[in-house]
Amino acid sequence: MHAGLQNPGRRPLRQAGAAALLAVAGWTGAAWSAPVTFNTALPVAKGEFVFREQFVLDQSGDDPSGADRDRTAWAAVSVLGYGVNGDLALFGVVPYVDRSLDLTVGGSRRSRSAAGLGDVALFGRYTVFKDNFRGGNFRVAPFAGVETPTGDDDESDAFGRLPASVQPGSGSWDPFGGIVATYQTLAFQIDAQASYRGNTEANGFEFGDVARLDASFQYRLWPRDLGGGVPGFLYGIVEANLVYRDENRTGGRDDPDSGGTTLFIVPGLQYVTKRWIVEAAVQLPVFQDLNGTALEKDTVARAGFRVNF
Amino acid sequence: MKMIVRTTAFALSILLLPLIAFAAPTQYQLRVDGLACPFCAYGIEKELNRTDGVESIRIDINAGIVTVTMAEGATMTEAQASRIVEDAGFTLGGFEKVRAQASNKPE
Repeated sequence: MHAGLQNPGRRPLRQAGAAALLAVAGWTGAAWSAPVTFNTALPVAKGEFVFREQFVLDQSGDDPSGADRDRTAWAAVSVLGYGVNGDLALFGVVPYVDRSLDLTVGGSRRSRSAAGLGDVALFGRYTVFKDNFRGGNFRVAPFAGVETPTGDDDESDAFGRLPASVQPGSGSWDPFGGIVATYQTLAFQIDAQASYRGNTEANGFEFGDVARLDASFQYRLWPRDLGGGVPGFLYGIVEANLVYRDENRTGGRDDPDSGGTTLFIVPGLQYVTKRWIVEAAVQLPVFQDLNGTALEKDTVARAGFRVNF
Repeated sequence: MKMIVRTTAFALSILLLPLIAFAAPTQYQLRVDGLACPFCAYGIEKELNRTDGVESIRIDINAGIVTVTMAEGATMTEAQASRIVEDAGFTLGGFEKVRAQASNKPE
């Protein structure tokens, strides 16, 4: 029997939860400005606040295990950023998550779900290099933080305690860090980021660590010619996310049906004004090399807004 | 007689011109290097609005120029402008005091 079918009430849920976690993994990128799926090195002015709300729909299916798993994960990710000075910015991230997984167990359809506030993440970003020139800039900024175990991790349903992956919270302290670079002109912007998240164990379960490489290209579609003042900019966006996730671990043992590599291509649009931004993008998985019967991603849709004050 | 009146009026207007110019508010033009998107412009505007004596601000993102109109009698130093721009994450590329030609409304 395939490993994925031996205990379909648990392992697929772990995979689903890990994938849902991945869906919100862009929250470090939900922090500020340009790219939709990850971070930027653009500054937050001293004493300025930036609030961002992003809604994420993560849909997965095409189950290779035969359990006909179908997963939907919603998240509303709220981010508040604060500029300590022109180089240092601090961020707090509060996700609200709603995860559900339908699957067939012993011939009957079963649905398990949980919703609630997720794990709050706190991180800082510091600009170590900047070159400001007329009409553009280039800057590099490392960032580091930790996801705290603030979300519920002991939810249960009629079938018993939900697996760790379906819980709104992980129960673990998960450090993360990376570096982001931004090259911006009035006509276009390029961002690139490398990041790593080291997930730790809680309740006998540990999500696999996540390594990401991200790139974003934004091109000003409108207005074609800039006049005076500060007009709104409409950007066309193309991003790419290469995400590698290590296998999950239960009781110290690797789960061979979890983890793997996914490449997303992300088309999107963004309208930017002096005080607010609205944006939408779709993460399309163009390449997936997953372990065992790990559930494949169908698509991830993101939409949201940002305001500064 | 007509000629005398015209000559006097002309002479008076010439004499009063400097006074009119003197009454105009002081403006500064700040060239902000690094400014390249509308969302980033707000950081500079907010910093300037918190500065004593600043009456209005006009940003031309294409030229990278921020024009600051001061209240009557108020001034701004280059060091002050540089600090404000740095706090917003950018670099002051130029600082010039100009005389206002007309009153500028805030954006």
